[in-house]
Amino acid sequence: MIKSKQLKKPQLVLIVDDQEINRDVLGMILEDYYDIIYASNGREALQMIEEYRDKLSVVLLDLIMPEMDGFKVLDCVRNDELLKSIPIIVLTAERNAELRALEMGAADFITKPFDMHEIILARVERIIELSEGRQLIQAAEHDPLTGLYTRNFFFEYANRIYRYQQGWHMDAVVLNIDHFHSVNALNGREFGDRVLGIIGDGIRAFLADSNGIASRFEGDRFAILCEPQTDYQALLDKIQTRVNEASHIAGIRLRMGVAPWREGVDPVTLFDRARAACGMVRGNYKSHLMIYDEEMYRRELLNQRLVNDLVRAVEERELKVFYQPKYNVQCDPPRLSSAEALIRWNHPELGLVSPGTFIPLFESNGQISTVDHYVWNEAARQIAEWREKFGVTLPVSVNLSRVDVFDPSLEERLESLVERYGLDHKALKLEVTESAYTENAEQMIELINRLRGRGFEIEMDDFGSGYSSLNMLSSMPIDVLKMDMKFVRNIVQSEKDFRLVGVVLDIARYLKVPVVAEGVETEEQLNMLKEAGCDLIQGYYFSRPVPPEEFEPLIVREKQIEREKQA
Amino acid sequence: MTIQELYTKIGGNYDQAVRVMKKDKLIDKYVRKLKNSNVGDMLAEAGETMDAVKLFESAHAMKGVCSNLGLEGLANAADEITEEYRAGNPRTLSDDAVKEKLAALLRRYRQTVQCITEYEESN
Repeated sequence: MIKSKQLKKPQLVLIVDDQEINRDVLGMILEDYYDIIYASNGREALQMIEEYRDKLSVVLLDLIMPEMDGFKVLDCVRNDELLKSIPIIVLTAERNAELRALEMGAADFITKPFDMHEIILARVERIIELSEGRQLIQAAEHDPLTGLYTRNFFFEYANRIYRYQQGWHMDAVVLNIDHFHSVNALNGREFGDRVLGIIGDGIRAFLADSNGIASRFEGDRFAILCEPQTDYQALLDKIQTRVNEASHIAGIRLRMGVAPWREGVDPVTLFDRARAACGMVRGNYKSHLMIYDEEMYRRELLNQRLVNDLVRAVEERELKVFYQPKYNVQCDPPRLSSAEALIRWNHPELGLVSPGTFIPLFESNGQISTVDHYVWNEAARQIAEWREKFGVTLPVSVNLSRVDVFDPSLEERLESLVERYGLDHKALKLEVTESAYTENAEQMIELINRLRGRGFEIEMDDFGSGYSSLNMLSSMPIDVLKMDMKFVRNIVQSEKDFRLVGVVLDIARYLKVPVVAEGVETEEQLNMLKEAGCDLIQGYYFSRPVPPEEFEPLIVREKQIEREKQA
Repeated sequence: MTIQELYTKIGGNYDQAVRVMKKDKLIDKYVRKLKNSNVGDMLAEAGETMDAVKLFESAHAMKGVCSNLGLEGLANAADEITEEYRAGNPRTLSDDAVKEKLAALLRRYRQTVQCITEYEESN
């Protein structure tokens, strides 16, 4: 590891004294440790300070000099924004002068005669360290692009306000650019940076008239902690106008999320809420402002509770796996072909929690793999149990989430499941959404190839909801294509939708894979799909997802049909 | 003449010079520089006009240089004039008294320079 000491910049010291002997003596003391330059009067010193302002570590300044004395130099440097950060140590033998110089902003003093070399060296070193430390802090405190606080400093100051200024009720505001990465990609990073600078200017202009602090967290994420505003839309519009005026590119659209102050809510939480609110207007072309409200608060509390309760839910078997049958409709009568395992949560206090509530939540925080592992195990166990009970192996498909793709132990985990329950690999079908394919195409294709190599069958779920190109489809290794239920919903009423179903079926034929139509609820839908050539049907028409004990009569009935057929 | 002998001759504090410059070689270098420095001339000029600011600045310069060289007698005499003319300090001496002290200081300074010349010639 490189130590910070090794990253020291070269240190340049300016010695200012009208007497050559004094300059030389001081230079002799310091020359082994620093680069030295000299000035023989105040005027020359000022010129050199300006010339070397980016390189100077410290100035050692005699106070009594002809032409321009050291006090005047101090005064000029301290009143110059570009120079005032350069530390100055005054050289003097007079106590009164020391005090005056320190009052004028000198960092320290060295007394004449220069007979205490160690003290002189120590003082110079200490002042340079302090100054460099301060410069580092200043650099870390502000985002160079916008001049706003950096994230760490922003939260430090926001927390101070929260702890020590309890009378200040301040709202959290998050401001983003819609599709900022596209703005950068299309117009170049420099342009993107200019837009960020304009937003920073707009925020600073706002804070000039309103109490608050602001930060650019990273990328296009801005945060403002400010006194409550009556009209946040007006604030958003003002900043948007600045961006529009300064940019020749139309369509740079800002969005804003606001979390109003709430008793006892710390800044980090408040900004999480503002960020969540801001996220809700992402891609919304009508509204660009969202205020975090009670409904969002209730949802947040519910989400937090579900996150906290998941481990217990697994241990206490509150999670239930339901099964929905898939029927082969190209036979008469239709034959039970397989089932899909679907999770349900029977929460002891909240009752039945919809998977539509907890699955997106766990997908977003990575806990979905806990749910998936539970479902995989339950499904494998159930396949084995039914095989034992009815003498048939009913294949069951389970979901493979995006996070599972990155699990290096995925293959071993699935392999051990089929081994443990003595299953054929084809009995446990794996459903992968089309969007997961397209997001990580290369990685996904490699994984799927490996899984298929082991004997697992892969179903592409929700086909038609993603953005697969025809070219990609031909290279995607799949065994079954599951048509998104949106296609099926309106096929009776909409000829266009029905024609789209035909297109999907054509694609499946091209890929030489069977198609499962999900969400089939009526006989009319069933007949249309059957006639169009759809192989497998899943939906309420045959059965809603049911617990294993309610599914068993379907297996019994299937065995009956089989017996009748053989007879 | 050695550098120590020179210091004895001019009433300087050799030990103090060593504290500042550490090595005889450097003491030698800067003592020789004193001979060519303008501190004496500046002070003499200031004395001719009795300009308070110039008297203060030039006496202050001599004090600073001499104290670094361990020439305490000169430094102390220069300090008296410095304090007499420091802004804010009350005047304690008459102009004539200052002139007398100044003349004595310059005399001593010239003697010191003379001794340094002899030292240079002997080396």
